[in-house]
Amino acid sequence: MPAPMPVGGLTMASFALTAAVIGNAYYQKRQFYPSVVYITKSNPSMAAIYLLAFTLVILLGKFLKKVFFGSLRAAEFEHLVERSFYAVTETCLAFTVFRDDFSPKFVALFTVLLFLKAFHWLADYRVDFMERSPVITLLFHIRVISLLLLLSLLDLILVSHAYHSTITRGPSVQLVFGFEYAILLTVALNIAVKYICHTVDLQSENPWENKAMYLLYTELCMGFFKVVLYAVFMVIMIRIHTFPLFIIRPMYLTMRSFKRALNDVILSRRAIRNMNTLYPDATPEELTAVDNVCIICREEMITGAKKLPCGHIFHASCLRSWFQRQQTCPTCRMDILRQPQPSPASQGQAPPQAAAPAQPQTPPPQVPQQVQPQAQQQIPNPFAGLFRGMPIPMGPPVDLAPFPFAPVPVQQAQQQGPTTSSSTSTTSGATITSSSSTTTTSAAATGGSTNQPGSAIPAASFNMMPPFFPLFPFNIPPPPPPPLNFSAMTEEEVRQLEGNERQHVEARIQVLRNIQTLLDAAVVQMNQYASIVSSLDKSTRINTASQQCPNQTAAASETMVPPQQPTKSTDQTEDTSLLVTPLLFSPEANDSSFSSSEEPSTSKPEVASSSPSNLDSGQAESASWLGATTVADTSPPDPSDPEDPEEIRRRRLEHFSQNS
Amino acid sequence: MGPEGTCFECGVFPAKLIFPPDYPLSPPKMQFTCEMFHPNIYSDGRVCISILHAPGDDPMGYETSAERWSPVQSVEKILLSVVSMLAEPNDESSANVDAAKMWRDDREQFNKIAERLVRKTLNLPYP
Repeated sequence: MPAPMPVGGLTMASFALTAAVIGNAYYQKRQFYPSVVYITKSNPSMAAIYLLAFTLVILLGKFLKKVFFGSLRAAEFEHLVERSFYAVTETCLAFTVFRDDFSPKFVALFTVLLFLKAFHWLADYRVDFMERSPVITLLFHIRVISLLLLLSLLDLILVSHAYHSTITRGPSVQLVFGFEYAILLTVALNIAVKYICHTVDLQSENPWENKAMYLLYTELCMGFFKVVLYAVFMVIMIRIHTFPLFIIRPMYLTMRSFKRALNDVILSRRAIRNMNTLYPDATPEELTAVDNVCIICREEMITGAKKLPCGHIFHASCLRSWFQRQQTCPTCRMDILRQPQPSPASQGQAPPQAAAPAQPQTPPPQVPQQVQPQAQQQIPNPFAGLFRGMPIPMGPPVDLAPFPFAPVPVQQAQQQGPTTSSSTSTTSGATITSSSSTTTTSAAATGGSTNQPGSAIPAASFNMMPPFFPLFPFNIPPPPPPPLNFSAMTEEEVRQLEGNERQHVEARIQVLRNIQTLLDAAVVQMNQYASIVSSLDKSTRINTASQQCPNQTAAASETMVPPQQPTKSTDQTEDTSLLVTPLLFSPEANDSSFSSSEEPSTSKPEVASSSPSNLDSGQAESASWLGATTVADTSPPDPSDPEDPEEIRRRRLEHFSQNS
Repeated sequence: MGPEGTCFECGVFPAKLIFPPDYPLSPPKMQFTCEMFHPNIYSDGRVCISILHAPGDDPMGYETSAERWSPVQSVEKILLSVVSMLAEPNDESSANVDAAKMWRDDREQFNKIAERLVRKTLNLPYP
C-alpha cells in the first residue's frame, strides 16, 4: 500500500482529472449521451477515467485494510510490498500469454486477483503474528474470522464462476483465474486451520503440545493440494496455450515448501519414534547425577524423562515438541537421526574392532600413530587384538617389506629424541623378557642384524639390500604357536601378555626407526659420494684410480634413492646428525655460505636433484653435512677408495675458510 | 550495559525481550527501546544475532544451525551475546547497513555517534 500522501495526491488528481474530463465533455456536447460517447471515444478521457478507477480500487483496498487489519506492522508492510512486486511481475508475464484477450476487463480481473492475493497474505501474516502477540483482542478475532469468511466466499464464487465460464464458453483466461482462486482457497483454508489451532491454544491454559504437529500436517496437506493444482494447471496450460512462464516461480516455491514440510514430517516422526522406542528412560540415579532439571522447560524431571544417545536428559514431552522443529539434541546439537542406534554391546565392541588391525606385533609403519597411544588405553578385550595379531608366521617379511618405502609416519607419531642404535638394541633386548611373542625376538633379530651392517659397512649393506629383505624369514626363528585357549589363563596373565605385547611393539618400532635412520643416513652419504666424485671428475681429474668407483657409487645411489621419501626423512637425518654432531665439524662448518656456494665440490645441487622431493636448502645442507659426518664416523664405505672422505673434508674446510 | 573498553562503554541501553508463547522452543525477540546505531541492530531497535534466529529457517543463508536458537539457551546467554555483539559488531551480516559501513570505513565517526548515544542514555549533555 502506498504511503498516505501519494494516495491523497493521487486521489485528488484523479478526481480533478475526471471532473475536468466530464466537465469538458458536457461543456462540448451539452447532452448526456453524446458526452458519454465522446468520453469513451477519446483516449485521454478514458485514461483519466481509468486512473480514477485505479484510485478508487486503492481507496477501497485501504478501506478494507482499515476494517480488517487496522494499521499494518512494518514487517507486514515490507512483506506485502515484496510479494506484490513479484505478483505484478507474474501478472505482466501472464498478460503476454493472454495478449489476445487483453482488454480493460481483463486488467480489472487481474487487479481484483492481486487484491485478493494481497489480502490473503495479510491474513496469513496476521494469523502468524497471533501466535506471537501477547494480547489478542476480541476485535482481532472478529476481524480475522470475518476476513477469512469473506475471502473464502469470494474465492469460492470466483472459482465457480471461472469453472462455469470455462465449461460454457470454452477455455479462456478464466482458466488462469480459476486456478489462481483455487490456490487462494487452499491458502485461506490453511490460514483458517492455523487460526483455529492458535485460538484453541490460546483458550486452553496449558500449552497445547500437539499444535505444532497439526500445523505441520495442515501445511503438508495444503502443500500437496497446491502442488497437484499447479501440476494440473501446468498440463492444461501447455495443452491449450503455451508454457505458462508466470507460474514457474510460485510453483517452484510451493514444491519446495511441500518438500520441506514432507521432510519435516518424516524426520520428526522418525525422531519421535526413536525417542519413544529406542532411547531409555532416565533412571533416578542418572537424574540426580545431572541436577534433575530439564533444561528445556527448567522444571524438575521426576517421570517421563528420556535419555538421548549423547547422554543428555530431557522431558519426553519437551523433546517431542523440539523434535517437531528440529531433530537434534538441544544441548549438543547432535543429529539424533544420523547417529547409529545406540546399543551398549556394539558400543563396547567398537573400539577393539577398530584397534585390532593395528594391534598386531609389528604394526606396519604406515599406521602406528593411532595404534600406539590410543588403542592400548581402550582395549577392554585383549583377545581380539591378540588373535588377529599373533600367529602369522609370514608376519615379519610382510611387515618389514614396506618399511624402506613408506617409513615415514612413525616419525610423526612419536617424535623421539635421538637415540643411538646401541641403546635401542639394548632396550629391545631388555623388553624381550616374556616367552610369548615371536615378534619381539624377530624385532630384536632384525634390529641387531641391521644395526651391525648398517653402521659398520653401509656401502656393503646397500649393495646387499635387495636380497637382504627376503633373507629375513630365514634369520628369524619360527614363531612359537600362540596359546590356544586364553580362557585357561587368568585375567592378570592375559593382561601381562598384552602389556608385554605393547612393550614389544614399541621396541620393534624403535628398532625399525633406527634402521631407517641409518639407511637414510647411508643414502645421503651415497649421494654425497656420488656428487663429490662427479665434481672431482669434472674439476680435478687428479685421482684416476678412483675413476671406477664414482660410477659405481653413483649407480648405487641412484638405485637407492627412489625407495626413500626424503621430505619426511629429513627429520630423521637431523636426528642422526644431532647424534653425530660432536664428532667432527666445528659450528662454522654448518655455515650457510656452504649451501650457497657455487664451487664445484658442493654437494647440494646433486643431493637435491637426486632425492625426489623438494628439500629446501637448509635441509639439503644438513643432509649433506650429515653425510660428511657419517662418512667420518663410520668406516670408509668404499673399500676401493679409502682416502676419499678425508680429502673431501679437507677440501671443503678449505672452501669454507675461503668463503668466510 | 555497554561493555568496557568499547565505544559503547558505560552506556545503559534499555531493551525489551519478547517471549513467544512456546518460549523455550522458539527464540524470544529482543528490541532496544532507545536509539541505537550499530551494524547488527535494525533502525527500529530489533537485535539481529544468530542465537535469536529460529533454527528451521535460514533467512540469510549464512548461519550454520549450530549457532542458532536452541531451547537450552537462556536469557543470560542472550544478554551476554548481545553485550559481546555491542563490543564486536559483525559487519558481515548487517542489519543496519549505514552503521556497518561506517563501522568499517569511518570508525571515528562511528565512535562519535556511539558516544552521543551513550550520553543520551545517561542523560548527559553531549559536548
